Amino acid sequence: MRVLVVYAHPVPGSFNAAVLGRVRAGLGRAGHEVDVVDLHAVDFDPVLPVDEWQVEYDPADADPILSDHIARLLRADALVFVHPTWWGGQPAVVKGWIDRVFANGAAYDRLAHKNRVRGRLGNIRRLAVVATHGSSKLVNLVQGEPGKVTVLRQLRLLCHRRCRRQWLAFYNGDRAGDEERRAFLIRVEDAFARW
Amino acid sequence: MPAVRVLVVHAHPDPGSFNGALVHAAVDALTGAGHDVDALDLYAEDFDPVMSRAEREAYETDSPICSPEVARHVELVRHADALVFVYPTWWGGLPAILKGWLDRVLVPGVAFDFDDTHRVTPAMQHVQRVVGVTTYGSAPWYVRVVGDAGRRTITRIVWLNCRRRSRPWWLAMYRLDTASRTDCEAFLARVTDRLARL
Repeated sequence: MRVLVVYAHPVPGSFNAAVLGRVRAGLGRAGHEVDVVDLHAVDFDPVLPVDEWQVEYDPADADPILSDHIARLLRADALVFVHPTWWGGQPAVVKGWIDRVFANGAAYDRLAHKNRVRGRLGNIRRLAVVATHGSSKLVNLVQGEPGKVTVLRQLRLLCHRRCRRQWLAFYNGDRAGDEERRAFLIRVEDAFARW
Repeated sequence: MPAVRVLVVHAHPDPGSFNGALVHAAVDALTGAGHDVDALDLYAEDFDPVMSRAEREAYETDSPICSPEVARHVELVRHADALVFVYPTWWGGLPAILKGWLDRVLVPGVAFDFDDTHRVTPAMQHVQRVVGVTTYGSAPWYVRVVGDAGRRTITRIVWLNCRRRSRPWWLAMYRLDTASRTDCEAFLARVTDRLARL
């Protein structure tokens, strides 16, 4: 499979960077082709501009970075997000990647008369999120995990009918020691090695 | 609520959109009720929602605020007795520019503190009411099925860091794509009426 990995963390050498390394390693062990989008490295602009919001917008006219990302999404067989969790969800740069790359006419068709969208991402057969959290699992449950539902429910509906979902979360990061971190890295690599 | 200071945070790329009308209605209603309103239009300000490396590295220090723009927004938050968010729902949640406003402005020492065991404790006790005003393209049943991430973010996560004596208000308009002029006017009236009674 060709796996598109969308990664965001502002600090090189962060724990998330180590997580990304394990995602690559695991997928490599399983023989998959890995395509990484590092949003901070490419200085991705997550703010959807007014022309992309308008109904007449055609993603074929997207700027070069954006059309490149759209093309890579449409070529992928699987999509993986790797990022920290801030205010319960994706950092803005990841949310804005979704806002802009999942464009009408690319990731979905708008059926305005039905207030519905029809997904165009039948190519995506696996969807996974690897997210680190500062707070505990209990706190996140109370807060409702908006980041989790955004990808595993909202975006899932655009993908292949039988698209499989996976959620790998590192909770309680604010109080975690090296032992827990090491264990999580191993868990991540093993999970992707089984893909 | 007696006359208080209200911070209205707005995010929409087109000032002529229905969301633009909503924020006007909200500000007018609040001002009309005698409140002191600060309005932040994140698109008009060209707000950068991406947390920088320097900010992430400063996040858990005593001085997490690294830019004058963020410092100005932080001052507005600190003086707010109520927070009102007006935005369109995209992919179930907040537009990135607004999500990044939470990421960069609601930092430790402003919105929450870390206690001795590094657990988060609320720090926006001065905020007595949290209000979300949003538009959805989809129907309510669909929004429920996909989890309503934006509502969880505002009415649970942001609200949990405020004074939790009063419930958050959630004012939502669904099926915007097929809404008639009458539907839009009815929702504007609802927003005006509700916010006038803040």
